Amino acid sequence: MTETILAVDRVTKRFPGVVANDAVSVDIRRGEIHCLLGENGAGKTTLADILYGVYRPDEGSVTFRGETLELHTPRDAIAAGIGMVHQHFELVPPMSVVENVVIGTSASQWLDLSEVRDRLNEFFHNYDVEIDPDAEVGRLSVGEQQWVEIFKTLYFGVEVLILDEPTAVLTPQGVQELFRILRRMRDEGLTIILITHKLKEVMELSDRVTVLRLGKVVGTVNTADVEMRDLAQMMVGREVLFQFDKERSHPGEAVLEVDGIHLASVTGRGSLKGLSLSVHAGEVVGLAGVSGNGQNALFDALVGVEQPSAGAIRIGGVDIAELSANRIGQLGMASVPADRIAQGLLMDFKVKENLVLGRHRSNPFSRAGVLNRSAIDGFAAESIEGFDIRTPSASQLTRTLSGGNLQKVIMARELSGEPRLLVAHQPTRGLDISASEYVRRRLLEERDRGAAVLLMSEDLDEIFQLSDRIAVIYDGRIVSETTPEQADLESLGLSMAGVDTVEAGSAA
Amino acid sequence: MTDQAPSETQAPEGGGRRDPLSMLFQSGAWRIERRLIVRPWHEVIALIAALVAAVAIIAGLVLFIGKSPADSFAALYNGAFGTRASTLETLVQATPLILTGLAAAIAFRAGVWNIGGEGQFFAGVMGTWFVYDLWGGLPAPLLFLLMFIFAAIAGAAWASVASGLLVRYGTNEILTTVMLNFVILYILSYLLAGPWQSPDTFYYQTVRMADTTYLPRFFTGSRLHWGFAIALLAALVVYWLIRRTTLGYEIRGIGSNVVASRYKGIRVGTVTLATMAISGALAGIAGAGELLGLHHRVQLDIAEGIGFTGIIIALVARLHPLGVIVAAILFGALVNGSTAMQYETGIPKALVFVIEGTTLALVLIAAMVTRYRIRKAG
Repeated sequence: MTETILAVDRVTKRFPGVVANDAVSVDIRRGEIHCLLGENGAGKTTLADILYGVYRPDEGSVTFRGETLELHTPRDAIAAGIGMVHQHFELVPPMSVVENVVIGTSASQWLDLSEVRDRLNEFFHNYDVEIDPDAEVGRLSVGEQQWVEIFKTLYFGVEVLILDEPTAVLTPQGVQELFRILRRMRDEGLTIILITHKLKEVMELSDRVTVLRLGKVVGTVNTADVEMRDLAQMMVGREVLFQFDKERSHPGEAVLEVDGIHLASVTGRGSLKGLSLSVHAGEVVGLAGVSGNGQNALFDALVGVEQPSAGAIRIGGVDIAELSANRIGQLGMASVPADRIAQGLLMDFKVKENLVLGRHRSNPFSRAGVLNRSAIDGFAAESIEGFDIRTPSASQLTRTLSGGNLQKVIMARELSGEPRLLVAHQPTRGLDISASEYVRRRLLEERDRGAAVLLMSEDLDEIFQLSDRIAVIYDGRIVSETTPEQADLESLGLSMAGVDTVEAGSAA
Repeated sequence: MTDQAPSETQAPEGGGRRDPLSMLFQSGAWRIERRLIVRPWHEVIALIAALVAAVAIIAGLVLFIGKSPADSFAALYNGAFGTRASTLETLVQATPLILTGLAAAIAFRAGVWNIGGEGQFFAGVMGTWFVYDLWGGLPAPLLFLLMFIFAAIAGAAWASVASGLLVRYGTNEILTTVMLNFVILYILSYLLAGPWQSPDTFYYQTVRMADTTYLPRFFTGSRLHWGFAIALLAALVVYWLIRRTTLGYEIRGIGSNVVASRYKGIRVGTVTLATMAISGALAGIAGAGELLGLHHRVQLDIAEGIGFTGIIIALVARLHPLGVIVAAILFGALVNGSTAMQYETGIPKALVFVIEGTTLALVLIAAMVTRYRIRKAG
């Protein structure tokens, strides 16, 4: 168990303007699950890409099974016995599972597909995964596609499997399933390197963990010897608050009232089927649920880009049925969309232009249809300082900002108008610890200022941390409601999975 | 990669974006990746390289048909800029191209693919003639004003047929604008064969317009007319509109990200309609300028592909209103110089189309090249 299979020795990798890996040394032991932990930009993925032959180190060396590793392409890595599953799958959606496995093997034309199919069946059976090898990959769920990716790698007989943020796309149940199988694979002798920034996963799954910060190794520790708090501190470089000092809320009048709305989504998945909910001034209502249960439709209905087919939404007592997205904004609603790049920002615009998006037609940002540039510049300077947006200038193109800063641009834009109602959909998705902490603190500040906050999130920790009330959405309805004090994780998880809907029905 | 430093290329761990081109070439010894920041001098160098390459390819073609490239280019250049008269004539050719180039550029900025500049140009010509036919006796200043206004309205209306279908039914505007080009040409054919036909001729054309409707010319001995000033003014107005007004902000907004624009309350349908109306109006004004400045009678061949060339010009100018002026003068020079080239060297004028096409292709490649870079993996 203690034999070193893969040794990284003082590897340095530079990109223009950044040292992604700075004299990084790690040893990976045969048959362990080894986590690479770090914030976004810590250099985890760069290190993995070096092990997988995507990049070549500028300095230092990698030793694999006692021999120096010279990789030029990922193909070399696979031939040597190192495989990697990226965060973004590399699958061909219209082709079957079997075809996806053999594609890219040089002998694919001559390969006997039935033999591959047999091996696939055996593999899936072995690990209790139910996937039809002849199914079209595009029709599989994200979790199933991940299995195809993993098997594709194992098919080449790799000894070391690298997984880059594998849980980002999975439901809580999917994560458990993945972990169960990864543990079995480890027990059967596979060496697994897992890249993540989620502390809980590290604690739950790994044998050892190497923490990276700003391209350097902070340390390698046995997971059993440390606590989550220690890892967080290593990762961020300072103490992290897991519990905010949250004062009791003093809810006021109802600001948002959602009354039995129905809204069919285009795909049929995630429609709203009579959802009711209310959020009061000065409270955070956490809406927990697995994605695809109507959160997107609810967000669209609240923002005003979709019209419910039945039911009513009132903001501050005003029915918004006939109102445009613009008018709804004027009622004092602010929103943070789930996909900040696709739904929240104009990436080709300057930062300052994005900061006034939605308010560009109102005073003082424009008069009589002409933009007031000095007002926009002044506001941008204020926002950049007030929200600590890291950008060289207000005229910087938005697309050059990092994820955390993109979210800060959205937060600055949405919060500067002192909204009465804030709807935040997955506000910390993909953000690192520091940025997440910042966003969460801001949400609580909004609550304390007296705003009604609706937080839709798949991250239960976040829900527990911030909410004054918790509602669970399942299949387009609120199936249960509770408070963080009363709730326990298990029953919450069950109602998220739609199991105990019998007891439910007490909509908020 | 860190919070502080926006890196020049996409950070390896940066979010869910992946660009199709980068994905195609992400493994192997070389990789293509998108630049986050495109530096202006890169663009300038790439543009110059594209033009040099275009010249080289065309020189090859000229050699291939057995002529001297040097003589041909000299003839082309002299024809376009050799004398004061030829330079002015180049500007004459550029005049309508500036306007149709602006028409395409503003629509493309909004992500609306108006390929109907040619048809909207015809609509402008017809609107102008309509006013002349009806109220030709009005005093000149009022008549000019009405003719240009109606030309703009007619172009806008014709473009709005396509944008109305797009906003209401989601009809693909590329198809409708292209098809409407043919529709209006047939309507005009009908009018020129009947109600509008000059009684003293068998040709499909109207009578010659009265001298009072001729756009004044700047210099004696040159055809350069006020239309050129109108075109320059239009470029400045479009530039101001796009950069400084809320409508321009929204036009760029829906062109950049239609989903985010809608989420933040921009009325995408309204902005689309407004953009197409402006685009059509610009093409319509081009039609009025050509009719009143040069042709003085409506004929079926009055457009000569000016609407289509505007699309190329807009793309070569990277949709920048002031760049459109430069590109339009370049293309006007090609049109103008090619006549002299044919006359002196016997190379067919049609080579101009090859030049236009080659230039467009290479400029687009140059734009691509500046946005990406190739790096050795590792």
